[in-house]
Amino acid sequence: MLELKKVGLSLEEKPILKNLNIKFDDGKRYVVLGNNGTGKSTIANLIMGVEKYKPQVGGVYLDGKDITSLGVYERANLGITIAFQESVRFEGITTFDYLTLGGKIKASYEDAKWALKSAGLNAEYLKRRIDDSLSGGERKRIELASMLMLKMRYVILDEPDSGIDMMSLDTISRIINILNSSGTTVITITHREEIAKNSDYAYLICSGTVLKEGAPADIASYYKRTCDNCGHPNEIIESVERL
Amino acid sequence: MRITQNYSKEFEKIVEAYEKSGGEASKILDKRVASIIISGDKIIGLNSVDGVEIESGKMEKGVWAKIKILKGKKIEMPIHLCTGFLGKEGEQRVNFDFNVEEGANVKFISHCSFPWSKKLTHKMLATVRVGKNASMIYEDAHFHSESGGVTLISDTHATIEEGGRYKNSFELVKTRVGALKVKMDVDLKENATAELNSKVRGRKDDEISIVETLGLNGRNAHGIAKSTVIATDETRARIVNEAFGNAPYSKGHIECNEITKGNHVDVSTLPVLKVTNDLSELTHEASIGRVNSKQLNTLMAKGMSEEEATEFIIKGLLR
Repeated sequence: MLELKKVGLSLEEKPILKNLNIKFDDGKRYVVLGNNGTGKSTIANLIMGVEKYKPQVGGVYLDGKDITSLGVYERANLGITIAFQESVRFEGITTFDYLTLGGKIKASYEDAKWALKSAGLNAEYLKRRIDDSLSGGERKRIELASMLMLKMRYVILDEPDSGIDMMSLDTISRIINILNSSGTTVITITHREEIAKNSDYAYLICSGTVLKEGAPADIASYYKRTCDNCGHPNEIIESVERL
Repeated sequence: MRITQNYSKEFEKIVEAYEKSGGEASKILDKRVASIIISGDKIIGLNSVDGVEIESGKMEKGVWAKIKILKGKKIEMPIHLCTGFLGKEGEQRVNFDFNVEEGANVKFISHCSFPWSKKLTHKMLATVRVGKNASMIYEDAHFHSESGGVTLISDTHATIEEGGRYKNSFELVKTRVGALKVKMDVDLKENATAELNSKVRGRKDDEISIVETLGLNGRNAHGIAKSTVIATDETRARIVNEAFGNAPYSKGHIECNEITKGNHVDVSTLPVLKVTNDLSELTHEASIGRVNSKQLNTLMAKGMSEEEATEFIIKGLLR
């Protein structure tokens, strides 16, 4: 089980997360819902151990063990990974090299082709470089494909729908289900209530803490009814954008 | 391929060095491929093909060669230039004169290999003329010794006539650099285009100096000069990219990316843009710093250590 206990985190002295408590059981599909700027991506970065996102209060626990002090690489070695919200460019690196991490992952061309196809791209992309020649949406799909190649215990998808057209919500759901069918816990961070439908449990985040949690349909419905036009998160948006 | 009989042993060693630098020896032995093989201060192999005229000779501490691609000729197979130095110490001078006549089309693949040199100064002076509507690609890869004792001084002046196209790439990424001083200036006439691309990886106390200049002197001339330098350990690097917009509708872009790794590197980049015609348009991009943290985090989140991720990113940049 992956757990955030009583987490408090400030960035540049602005409080972002406050007394946050979240649990992720093994083998389930979670969605973390909330408007832009409520602290969702901060939660994703904090779980992954990204340097700037160390909590000042509380901690991150894996199977009861405190992993708060561990960095990104150490956490990846414990089976936690993330598809960051922004899929960065890698000049000179082909999609195949990227998916196999330059041979670190022992996978065949066919494995990579399957992963790409699952993410909605054809095999031609394996030879293409992950640079300016690809759109943000294409890079996002490659990132989703890489999640399939890694075979991790926990996969965090931070806003997988941003930069991808609506038609691709099916692709995202397919990726989540493939990952989950092999026992991976999938944590999807999103502000789209449609994504919540394809999950087992939902958390609604507001102003850096859990406002509600429970059945995805109920949380999604509450979110849609209540959170539109809510002015709470603006402070957090400003703080995160300054980073 | 005409190999001077007395040098057959030397030829074998040069071929060995050539292969070390990534060259394909079969190409320089292929009769259909024009090539020049230089060892120290002599030309030990030379082959020409239809449409290519090569004159060559000796000079103090080196050789000279004039290579002419005749008017309208399209040379199917790239011309191979293989330059080596088998001794441990010395000086090698190479003067090249490339003349690609009107409408001709050619590609050169050059390998300079000095894998055994402890203290060598290699001086290359090149003049390039790409004629009207002609095209020339020049790919230059260097392979130096790991002693850091090679000093490479390269000075190229290129003139690209109306509608001509010139593409030059320089790579020194597989071995230590030693000391490198590359200077290249390109004079672009009307509708001419040029693309300069340099990739260098410095290690230990290597010294790198690159000065690339685009003179956009003809109407609608276009040029790009891009340098990528990886500076590790105590490498010192000075990169100057210049573009001069002197003609209407000329466009130039200069770009320098320097990746640093280590606390003792000393790197700088200086973009220089000057416009003397207000219809000219120049842009530049420059960056110096460690490997992008977003790229690092993305790879480390997949299980790569920081060292592995950095190397992976650098290899990509140098491809």
